Amino acid sequence: MEISIQNLTKTYGEYTAVNIPELTIHSGESFGLVGNNGAGKTTMFRAALDLLESNTGCVYIDGQATNNSEHWKSFTGSYLDENFLVGHLLPEEYFDFVGAIHGIGDADVKAKLEILEPLFNDEILGGKKLIRDLSKGNQKKVGIAAALLFDPKVLILDEPFANLDPSTQIRLKELLKMLKHDRGVTMLISSHDINHVTEVCERIVLLEKGNIVKDLHTSSATLKELEHYFAGEPNAQGL
Amino acid sequence: MNPLLYIITFDFKESKRSSLWHRKLIVNLFLIFTFLYLAVNLLLLGVFLDDILIKVPFEDIDYNTYGTSFVLRRLNQFLLYYFFIDFIIRYFMQKLPAMAVQPYLHLPIKRSSLVHFMLVKSIWSPFNLLHFLIFIPFMVELFENLTFSESLGWSIGFTSIVFASNYFLLLLKRTSDIDTRVYIGLLVSLVSIIALDWFDLVDFLALSGWLFNSLFLHPLSALIPVVLIAAAYLANFNYLKGNMYLSKLSKDKKTAVTYTGKGILSRFGLVGRLTELEFKFIWRNKRPRSVLMITLLFLGYGLLVFPNPEYEGNYLMYVLFSIIITGMFMLNYGQYLLGWEGSHFDHVLTRNVSFKEYYMSKFLLFAIVSGASMILSIPYAYFGWEVLIVLFCVFLFNIGFSIHLVMFFGSMNPKKIDLSQSTVFNWQGVGAAQFLMMIPVLVLPMAIFGLGSLIWGSLGGVILLGAIGLLALAGTNYWIALLAKWLTNQRYSISNDFRNQ
Repeated sequence: MEISIQNLTKTYGEYTAVNIPELTIHSGESFGLVGNNGAGKTTMFRAALDLLESNTGCVYIDGQATNNSEHWKSFTGSYLDENFLVGHLLPEEYFDFVGAIHGIGDADVKAKLEILEPLFNDEILGGKKLIRDLSKGNQKKVGIAAALLFDPKVLILDEPFANLDPSTQIRLKELLKMLKHDRGVTMLISSHDINHVTEVCERIVLLEKGNIVKDLHTSSATLKELEHYFAGEPNAQGL
Repeated sequence: MNPLLYIITFDFKESKRSSLWHRKLIVNLFLIFTFLYLAVNLLLLGVFLDDILIKVPFEDIDYNTYGTSFVLRRLNQFLLYYFFIDFIIRYFMQKLPAMAVQPYLHLPIKRSSLVHFMLVKSIWSPFNLLHFLIFIPFMVELFENLTFSESLGWSIGFTSIVFASNYFLLLLKRTSDIDTRVYIGLLVSLVSIIALDWFDLVDFLALSGWLFNSLFLHPLSALIPVVLIAAAYLANFNYLKGNMYLSKLSKDKKTAVTYTGKGILSRFGLVGRLTELEFKFIWRNKRPRSVLMITLLFLGYGLLVFPNPEYEGNYLMYVLFSIIITGMFMLNYGQYLLGWEGSHFDHVLTRNVSFKEYYMSKFLLFAIVSGASMILSIPYAYFGWEVLIVLFCVFLFNIGFSIHLVMFFGSMNPKKIDLSQSTVFNWQGVGAAQFLMMIPVLVLPMAIFGLGSLIWGSLGGVILLGAIGLLALAGTNYWIALLAKWLTNQRYSISNDFRNQ
């Protein structure tokens, strides 16, 4: 499934949050998005998921614009923030529900969860805590697991590694690599952790103030290049 | 500057910047007007309290013996009850001012200063101040009629008891933590006191009179309530100082919930599943749960009308009360239709569920609760079979027609609702749409009934209402499609509003 961004702009008054003339994420590509706060990563994700109205242009998933078709919802797994979680449910209830939306029976949901169990580290399932009472990290695990539950063909995750414990970070990386290689999932992932993102993604785009400033195919030099970029800029401002 | 002074100014800023002021002007005007109306009423009650007390038909005390102190003596007889009932109301409604200090606990500010701050702040509560609206005019008259020391003794005593009651309440509430058993215990003791008094076993009126009379007969005894305040304040202080930890102050108690799997409604497919989740939502959150409880309470509302000979055959009243009985939940819960889901609205938008299914699940929810209210109201048939016909026809109109109006107005109000607060005196989320909604939902069916009854008589009017309801019900899919279309157009602005709250 190809994701393609055409002429996308989003402005708030004078301020341009995103301005991407053209960007295509090929089917099966693992695509990483990096950039400092305010670079427009989340705005771009929200636009892709039809959560905000762009000023111009739109995002196509599998050839259909996300803002006037609901086709993409059936095969796109996404997790941006806690607004995606139904706080008053137990994790199991939430998973059952997400399964039901995609026509997966409760028994199959159980089987899926067993595969995802390494992510949970025994902390999520079988507990009596509602999702809203879980810690930030555990909430994120629930959100990511729900996005993966129905074997999505497209996966959109905002900062999936932030707040996770080290074990889960490592397991999530393995899982994402596996999804790319075995299932050909198209992935759109943002991260502040350039180590993780260079490890998982074969292509990395760097956003700055809403614009694409670098578009790299990950190689051994990529990490250095990114480090140089992120370290260099503040110095220019005398910090 | 003393850190405590900062905290006090922060507190002012908090109320100044409260989202309360960001509401529509008309809502604030309405609330201010309501409040002023209440305040003026209480003031007038205070001004005319002496006239009222003289007229109370009560033989106990002789006016001629006591002369100027007669009014006060009579009032004193009731004060024990007054303060007791006040205490129960406080227990039910007064909030603990606890959260305010949480951000300062880790800073180098003396714990004891923070505790003093919290305790002194608690005075600034309508539950303390409203007393004085009534009693300041009364005290002024007191000073005019009695000697200075007598008036001063009683006034200080009364004031001290109000504040002592405030601090005892805070202590009880903090240590027992909204325990229904305490509430029931208080109510039971009130009822038993009234019973004891009624059967002349213990004369609480006389006791009350004796207690409060001594405040002006022996003005120095007013020091006793002053000591009570000090004691209650100290007890609070010691308790809070030892217990001021985040886990104990934290307002949201974590609820342990057991996984139950899917229920009966899941048989109705995805829509049923959504409705089922919404029932879970209602049950697991304080505010929507209290909406459901209020709905149950209002089922008894019909008892005010149906058995009342004054309203016998008054179909307009029957219609009005039937709207409320079968539509209470719809009106009360539906007014924040989307607001309830404000904290996970991005989930609502990105999940693989169409807006039609979404609204259909809400429709199912309201139809179920409304139907259950209808079924539970069947006993009203005892007051005449026509009552049942009215209830049923109004029920049809509610779930056929009004339900969609409610869902529409409820969707227009994207205010995220804080679920942990109870509904009592909770104005959060109230917007102009709520008041606007009442008009068509209450007035329209009554107008249709009125029209029908002019042509075909009362029963004809009722049946017209039912027939229109049935017709509208047949078009449910059409109405739902309209709502879904509306939401599709509004989705960006609504989700943006929710994200920014």
